Amino acid sequence: MTKPINTSHEASFRDPCGYMFYDGKILRRAINPIYFPQYNKLKESGFLATLIKKGLLIGHEETSVSEENIIITPEHIPFITNPYEWSFEQFRHAALLTLQIQKYALSKGFILKDASAYNVTFHKGKPIFIDTLSFDFYVEDTPWRAYKQFITHFFGPLVLAKYHGSEIFKMLQTHIDGIPVKLIASMLPGKTKLSSTLYTNIHLLAKMESKHSEDYKAETKVAKLSKKAQNNILTSLFDYIKKLKLNEESEWGDYYEKTNYDDQAFEAKKQLIKEWVLPLNAQKLIDIGGNDGTFAREFLSVVKDVIVTDIDSNSVGYNYHQVQRNNEGNMLPFVSDILQPAPGLGFNNTERNSLIERLAIYGPDVTLALALIHHITLSGNVPFYKSAEFFAKFSKHLIIEFPKREDSWVESLLVRKREFINHFDFYNETNFREEYSLFFQLEKKQAISGTQRVLYHFKNKELFN
Amino acid sequence: MDNFLIIFLYFDPGLGAMIVQGLIAAAAGILLFSKGVMYKVKSFFGLIKKEDDTYDSIDIEEEDTESHDKTD
Repeated sequence: MTKPINTSHEASFRDPCGYMFYDGKILRRAINPIYFPQYNKLKESGFLATLIKKGLLIGHEETSVSEENIIITPEHIPFITNPYEWSFEQFRHAALLTLQIQKYALSKGFILKDASAYNVTFHKGKPIFIDTLSFDFYVEDTPWRAYKQFITHFFGPLVLAKYHGSEIFKMLQTHIDGIPVKLIASMLPGKTKLSSTLYTNIHLLAKMESKHSEDYKAETKVAKLSKKAQNNILTSLFDYIKKLKLNEESEWGDYYEKTNYDDQAFEAKKQLIKEWVLPLNAQKLIDIGGNDGTFAREFLSVVKDVIVTDIDSNSVGYNYHQVQRNNEGNMLPFVSDILQPAPGLGFNNTERNSLIERLAIYGPDVTLALALIHHITLSGNVPFYKSAEFFAKFSKHLIIEFPKREDSWVESLLVRKREFINHFDFYNETNFREEYSLFFQLEKKQAISGTQRVLYHFKNKELFN
Repeated sequence: MDNFLIIFLYFDPGLGAMIVQGLIAAAAGILLFSKGVMYKVKSFFGLIKKEDDTYDSIDIEEEDTESHDKTD
């Protein structure tokens, strides 16, 4: 067996058609002989080229061709976000992309043989299909074999989010192969049975799945479905998802109305951060707790790759909306809760990397953590040295804002501690600086004029040794 | 193309899901047809609003790339 097991990517072992592996630091894809006919046809017919030119499928170069395997090298994606880290809009677009690709494939005599949400990620401001081996030949009059997967990975979670909010996407962390249809059906309000699209694609599907779940000998006759009928399913799902909105959706726009300082102080903070970041000549920057990306957006013209993460799915959604509107190809927004970062998932806990692993691999040159430490420390009860340890795992330069006890937000967080307020006497600049100095070297500090906040620039001790 | 083997699936497509697609397609067909009729009626009366979405249509336009392919 020639398979370089020790370097193969942990997320690709199920597909018999090929696998991803690391060649040094470069991620490549090996295609096994079993998939040669498909791959050659996909390539010769110009199918792959069209999808790649349209920016719907990740591009690749053919690295080597032998009888044993064909090696292709896909375009590098700096940071992979997973479905449970997407805002509603992102999830919706990823689903629409999958349907577009399936319909196009069908018109060219191919199908998507799986419709996993992990086949899509965000790159250059848009969702992109990343599994080049997901295509197979279409056999006349056969139903779409990945249909159920599309429902459990995309359609179900989206419809659930409409009724229960985008928090529901986190369920994909516990259900790596999609939310079971029966569970989706049970969580939807009764009125959804009145919608012909929801009734057939979810409730009826759940019923049929239970009915046929014990057909172990595969005795029931093989189902047939014309291409036109399949196109109808795809188009109706597309139309439905296109119009899908969150019930709880709040209006976008006033995120920074809630700050406790005036415009002048806001500008002063922006200027100061700019002055500090620009000389670092950063190629990669991450803003943690970066809201809708207001501060990170300042660096889009000078930093090659910018990532913004926030706990609030709505602000991430608003950020993504701006990325679409302004065509900001180097901005990537995603949802994460720093107090509970996405864990390693799947078989061996390694199929999907934990957030911290992905951040460490990404290796941002600059990490911004603005108006965040008081939430981590006071709302999350996380001691300074613990949050310092967290940032040190992936940050080279850490620019972190420290709101003093006199800051009105800190005051209100402290007041909420009631009789335990004295337990938080440690929350002051001296302790903060000392504990962060365990992992970082202090470069600069400066008070932000017009506020009770101080900006710190720390340099990671380990990453610079 | 028929002499190529189709790759076996490494996940269960769900038998119920395979059978039910006929019914789903029928319902979708009726819905799409009635929507099509409504669209024609509305556009006759000038009631169609242009929507601004990156994902307007399920169909991928390919004229430009196809002609390019041929000249390669």
